[in-house]
Amino acid sequence: MINFFSKIIIYFYREYKTSMIGLNDLFVNLVFFFLSIFIFIFSIGSDKEILEITGIGIIWSLLLLSSTLSLKKYYDSDFNSGNLIMMHMNGFSYELIALIKVVSNFIFVQIPFLISIPIACLFVNIVFQKIILMLISFIIGSLILSCLGSISASMNLLNKKNYSLGSIIVMVLSIPVIIFSVGIINNEESFLSLIKILFGILFIFIAITPWFSAICIRLAIQNN
Amino acid sequence: MLLANNLQFKRQGLTIFENINVAANPGKIILIKGNNGSGKTTLLKTLLNILEPAEGDVFWFGKNIKTDIFKFYINTCYIMDKPTSNRDMSILENIYFWKKFSKSTISDQEIIRILNVLNLQNYAKQKIKFLSLGEIKKLELSRIIIEQKKLWILDEPFSNLDSNSIDIISKTFIDHSKNGGSVVFASHYNPNIHNEIISLDK
Repeated sequence: MINFFSKIIIYFYREYKTSMIGLNDLFVNLVFFFLSIFIFIFSIGSDKEILEITGIGIIWSLLLLSSTLSLKKYYDSDFNSGNLIMMHMNGFSYELIALIKVVSNFIFVQIPFLISIPIACLFVNIVFQKIILMLISFIIGSLILSCLGSISASMNLLNKKNYSLGSIIVMVLSIPVIIFSVGIINNEESFLSLIKILFGILFIFIAITPWFSAICIRLAIQNN
Repeated sequence: MLLANNLQFKRQGLTIFENINVAANPGKIILIKGNNGSGKTTLLKTLLNILEPAEGDVFWFGKNIKTDIFKFYINTCYIMDKPTSNRDMSILENIYFWKKFSKSTISDQEIIRILNVLNLQNYAKQKIKFLSLGEIKKLELSRIIIEQKKLWILDEPFSNLDSNSIDIISKTFIDHSKNGGSVVFASHYNPNIHNEIISLDK
């Protein structure tokens, strides 16, 4: 069992090394996120009240769009290089590989956005109390986005011709996440009930993502 | 030992190969040969349960590999026809990743010796993306020593290698078989070290 966990840690270390090497990609994602916020501000105008009302929605939508930018990196390189097979042959089931990928996507892709959210909130005039609610909703929401990313990226392994299909799937499935995440921030009185719903969505995705992604990976390997 | 009975593989209704029997006893070196598209890689992947055969079963020491696939994998080293090493990591980083990941007990001195034998010692800290295809292939092949497994399954192990490296790898196969290991490899090049040939040509 100790050996098994140490293997997981070694794999995470490799993911960490890969993401550190790809730091410029992460930087580009963050630049895309902030530039998009500026574009929204320029197009809407600098009216503080309008920005305060629309800001949370803008930030959440852009977080979603930014996270879809890194979908291609999810499984593609490991699949093409045969590393998914190598991981499997070293004792990792495809379900576990998917779960590890979700966690590493959350740590190495979503966490940098988490850090940048307070800065983005300042640009759109969101008050401090709402920034905290935004961070709480993003921690849960980004885990759901990581799960969604895993599902769509694994589906993309089966459909190499049309990559935007994966992004569309993420966007469609993330509509409830956006509704409840924005709702948490705008309706503080129903915070508890909405966060319970968000946790419910998270647990559903954590439950289905490994199995669904593993089926897609297995099928993609069979068809390759 | 690895035993495969009456293997058949179909893709989209087309039979790629059929009636294939493989018996990789300890000490045996099996060459799988065939023209392009004859199903060499497919056969290797079928032996590893990566692909599902239409008919036939694969056994490892008398047990169907599907009953405990990871027990089979613990004893198997598979070298693919494409590089699996991380292009952004150095030779040493990749080697230590494989060593730790396969729980190999190989010492640092032995790793240095492998690098020397394969003439990779000068590139140990070089990133893979800057290496030639032959050097990457040699690094991939170093896994057969590093992982210390009984059964070696290799897909085109001699592609992109110079004659000196082919000799080294061939000798390594022979040494492994003498030590009770088994080698199954698919190749267009025949180094004449095999005990058995499985031809997939129709």
